[in-house]
Amino acid sequence: MTDSQSFEARLAQAKSASSRLREAIGSVIVGQNAVVDQVLWSLIAGGHVLLEGAPGLGKTLLVRTLASALELKFSRIQFTPDLMPSDVTGTNVLVMDATGGATGRFELHRGPIFGQVILADEINRATPKTQSALLEAMQEHAVTIAGTRHVLDQPFFVLATENPIEMEGTYPLPEAQLDRFLLKVLVPNPSEDEMTAILARTTGHEVAAPTAVLRREDVLALRSLCRDIAVAEPVLRYAARFVAQSVPESRDAPEVVRRGLRYGAGVRGAQSLVLAAKALALLEGRAQVAFTDIQRVALPVLRHRMIRSFEGEADGITTDRVIEELVASVPTRPGAVEAAVQGSR
Amino acid sequence: MPTPDSELQRFDREFRSWARRVRARLTLGRLLTGIAVGLAVGAVVALLLWWQRQGTLRPFALGAGLVGGIGAWIWSWRRRLSDSDVALYLDARLESKEVIATAKDAGGESTDPARAFVVTAAADTLTKGDPKRARPKILAWVHTLAPIGAAAVIYVSWIPLPKAPAAPPPPPGSTLVQIANLQGLDKIEQLEKLDARDAEQRERLKQIAEEARKLREQLNRGMEKREAQAKIAKLRDDVAAERLKLGDQKNRAGLEAAVGKLAQKQTTKDAAKALGDGDLVEFDRKMQELANKAEAADRQAAKEALKEAEKAAREKGAKELAQALEEQQKLFEQRESKAEALRELAKGMKGKLSEEALKDLEEFGQSGSPEAQKRLAESLEKALEGMSEEERKRLAERLQKQLEQKEGGGANPMTKEQIEELAKRLATPEGQKQLEEQMKELAKPDASKEGQREQGLGDAERGGAEAERGLGGMAPVPMEGNGSPGPGKDKEGGKGQSGDAENGTAGPGSHHDKGRGDHKGETKKLDDKGMRAKATAKINPGAPMQGSTLGRAPARAGETANQAGTGALGQAGPAELGGVEGSEVPEEYREQVGRYFQP
Repeated sequence: MTDSQSFEARLAQAKSASSRLREAIGSVIVGQNAVVDQVLWSLIAGGHVLLEGAPGLGKTLLVRTLASALELKFSRIQFTPDLMPSDVTGTNVLVMDATGGATGRFELHRGPIFGQVILADEINRATPKTQSALLEAMQEHAVTIAGTRHVLDQPFFVLATENPIEMEGTYPLPEAQLDRFLLKVLVPNPSEDEMTAILARTTGHEVAAPTAVLRREDVLALRSLCRDIAVAEPVLRYAARFVAQSVPESRDAPEVVRRGLRYGAGVRGAQSLVLAAKALALLEGRAQVAFTDIQRVALPVLRHRMIRSFEGEADGITTDRVIEELVASVPTRPGAVEAAVQGSR
Repeated sequence: MPTPDSELQRFDREFRSWARRVRARLTLGRLLTGIAVGLAVGAVVALLLWWQRQGTLRPFALGAGLVGGIGAWIWSWRRRLSDSDVALYLDARLESKEVIATAKDAGGESTDPARAFVVTAAADTLTKGDPKRARPKILAWVHTLAPIGAAAVIYVSWIPLPKAPAAPPPPPGSTLVQIANLQGLDKIEQLEKLDARDAEQRERLKQIAEEARKLREQLNRGMEKREAQAKIAKLRDDVAAERLKLGDQKNRAGLEAAVGKLAQKQTTKDAAKALGDGDLVEFDRKMQELANKAEAADRQAAKEALKEAEKAAREKGAKELAQALEEQQKLFEQRESKAEALRELAKGMKGKLSEEALKDLEEFGQSGSPEAQKRLAESLEKALEGMSEEERKRLAERLQKQLEQKEGGGANPMTKEQIEELAKRLATPEGQKQLEEQMKELAKPDASKEGQREQGLGDAERGGAEAERGLGGMAPVPMEGNGSPGPGKDKEGGKGQSGDAENGTAGPGSHHDKGRGDHKGETKKLDDKGMRAKATAKINPGAPMQGSTLGRAPARAGETANQAGTGALGQAGPAELGGVEGSEVPEEYREQVGRYFQP
C-alpha cells in the first residue's frame, strides 16, 4: 500500500469516525448541526470552544453528549463568583488515619480540570482569578498545584459556555483569555421542527443515552491526521491577507474595519483560521484546504478576536458583520486569475 | 499500482496540457482585444486625418490594428499566467476545491502522504475534467469593434476630403509682392545724374539713387509689401529733404524780403509770386521770359530787381536763396545775350522768314516765352537751310552793316565780336553748319541749375509717389501736381497726373493750370454786377496753410501704436498700447479700423 493509499484509508476512517460521532450526538441533540460541526472542528483541530447562547438551548447537554460519545473522562465545573482556583485545579489535603488523626502527610485531591472533556459552565460568572486557572490549563495542557506541575491527560478539550443575558455580577473574559479559545460558537434558537422533535424526545419516560463511538486513540489519530492536511501557498496567503486586513491600521483594510474596530485579529487568529479550515477539510474527506474552507470557518474563529471601537459599538457594527465584509472584499486569487475566471463565465 | 512519481508525472503532463490551452486561448482573446481597440483608435485617427484633410495618410490608420495587436501580444506575454495562477484558474473553473493548486504547490514533495494523495486527486480531476468548462472565452463584445473599426477606416479613407476653410486674411501689408520693374523708381535712380548743389548733396543723392536701385532688386526677388512701402516712403522723405526749402525758418525772412523787392517792380511781380510760392522752376521761367523781352527797359528793371532781391536775401541771412538769385542774375545776362542774337539774326533774315516765323518773332519780343523762343529758333534754322549761297553772303553783309550802325549807338547786348563771328560763319559752309547747330541749341529750354535741380528732385518725388501707387493699398494723398502745361498752345490746362488704374485711385490735379480754354458748360456766368467777396489768402505767401499738413510724419507703413516710443505716434502711453485691438470694435471691422489708424 502506497502512502497515498494509506492516507486515503486514514481519510476514509476519519470521515467514517466523524459520521459516527455526528450520529451519536444527533441521537440526543436535535438540530444544531452547525454547532455540532463547529464543536467537532475544534475537537479535531485540538482547540477549545466557547459556546454562547441563551439558557435552555442545550449547550450543557451537547457537551455531556459529546463526552459520552467520545468515551472520555467528563468533568463539569459550574462557575460561580465564589468558586476558587483550587476548586478547579484541586488541592493537597492532609491525610487522616483510621482514628481520625492526622498522618502528617498531604495527598493531592485532583480538581475537575483533570478530566478530558471539561464543561466550564457559565465561565463568565467566576472571578478572573478562577478563570485564569482554567485558562492556564487550556493553554499549557498542565496545572501547577503547590509548586508541582501536573500534565493533563490528552485529549484535553474544554467547552465553556456563556450566557449573553443576565450580565449582572459577571466577569467578562479579557481579550487575551478569549484568544485561547479556537472557536466561539453561537448557539441559535431551534427551529419549529427542531423544537417539536426536542419536545417529543425529552418529555417522555425514556431519555436517549448516547453510545461511545470514539475512543481516546481515535480522537488523537484524528487530530494527527488534521495536521497532515495540505494547504497550498495561495490559500495560506489568503488566510494571512484576510487576517491582516482585519487590522484597522492596514493599508488595504475595508472601511468597516477602519471604522468599526479598534484591534483586529493577530497571528494566533491566522493560525486558528488555518487549523479550523484543515479540520473542516478533514471532516469533508479532503486532503487539502480550499479558499471556501477559510471563509466558512472565519466567523467562529475570528469573531471573539476583534475588539470593536467606540464608534463601531455606537454604530452597532458587530464583529460578525466585519468578518462578512472581509469575506466579501478580500480577493482569494490574484487579479489576473480572477479576471480570467470572470471573463470565462 | 501507480507509484507517487508516476502520479506526479501524470499530473504534470495533464497540467501542462491544460495550461497550454488556457494560456493560448487567453493570449488569443487579448490579441483580438488589442486588434479591436487598435482598429477603433485607428478609425478615430482616420477621422481626424480626414478632418485635417490629410487624405493620403488615412488608409494607414488600419495599421493601428496591427499596432494594437502587437501591443496586446506583448502585454499578454508580460501578464501571462504562472503555473500557480493557471492552477488556481483551473480550480475555480472546475470547482475542485484548490486540489490542483495544492498539488502544483506540492511540487516534488509528493512523498508527504497527504500531498501524494492531493496530487493523485488533482491528476484525476484534470483527467476527468471537462475541458469546455475550463476553456477561457476568446470572443468578447469588445471584439465587435474590430470589423466596425476596419469598416470605419475604409469608409473614411474612401469619402472625399472636406473643403478647406478660407484662409484668414494676412495682416495688413504682410503680403509678399514681387514686381519686376516698379514704375517710378527709375526717376529716383536718375538723381545721381543731377547737378548737385555741393559735394555733400552729390553724395546724398548718390546714396538715394543706390537705395532705389537696391529696392528695385529686392522687389524683383519679392519682399513684404509693408517693408517696400516703408522703404519707398523713406526714399520720398530723403528726396523731399534735398529740395530747397525757401519757406523754412532759416530762409523765411530772406525770402519775404526778396519777394518784397521783386514785387515792388511791375515787371517782376509774376516772378515775385512764383518765388513767394517757393516754385523755383516757375520763378526761373518768369525770369527767362523777362530776359527774352525785346524792351531793354524791362530787362534792366528786372536785373535791378534781381540784384536788390539778392542783396535783401543776403542781408536777412538767406544764404541759399541769395546764391540762387545770384545765379539767376548771371543766367539772366546770358539769356538776354542769346535772345538779342536771335533777334538780330531774325532781323537780318526778315525777307526769308515765313508769316508764322514773323508772328513768333513778335510774340518772342512781347512775352519772351521759352516756347516762342523755341519756335523762332526752329523757324530760323529752317530758313537758314533754305537759303542759297548768295543769300547767305548777303545776310552776312547785312549783319555786318547792322554792326556798323550799332557802333557808337545804343547799348546792344550782342557784342561786336559776336556779330563779326556770326557774319564769318555765314560766309563759310562749316560756319553755316555751326550756326544751324547753335539754332538748335537755342530751341532747347534753358533752365537755371537750381531750377534743373528742383525739377529733377520733383521728378524723383513724383517717381516715389508713382512707385507707392504701383505697390497699391495706399490712400491717395493730396499733393502738388506734376503735370506740365498742356501742349495745346495755351488753350488748355495742364494735365493732371494719371490715376492708378489698377487700384482706382485718382491722381492729383495739375498745379500748372494756366490754360486759357473756354470752360464751356462748366462755369456759369455770375449774374451779378461784381464780386461780392474776394479771397485774399496771401497773408503768408509760400507758407503752408494753417491746419494742413503737407509734410509726412516720420512714420512708416505698417507701424502702429503697439510699439511704445516709436513710429509716427511718438511716445505712446501704456494705456494706448493695443487700443484698437482692445476697443469695442466688431471683429469684422477691426482690420479696417487698424488700417485707418496706420500712419
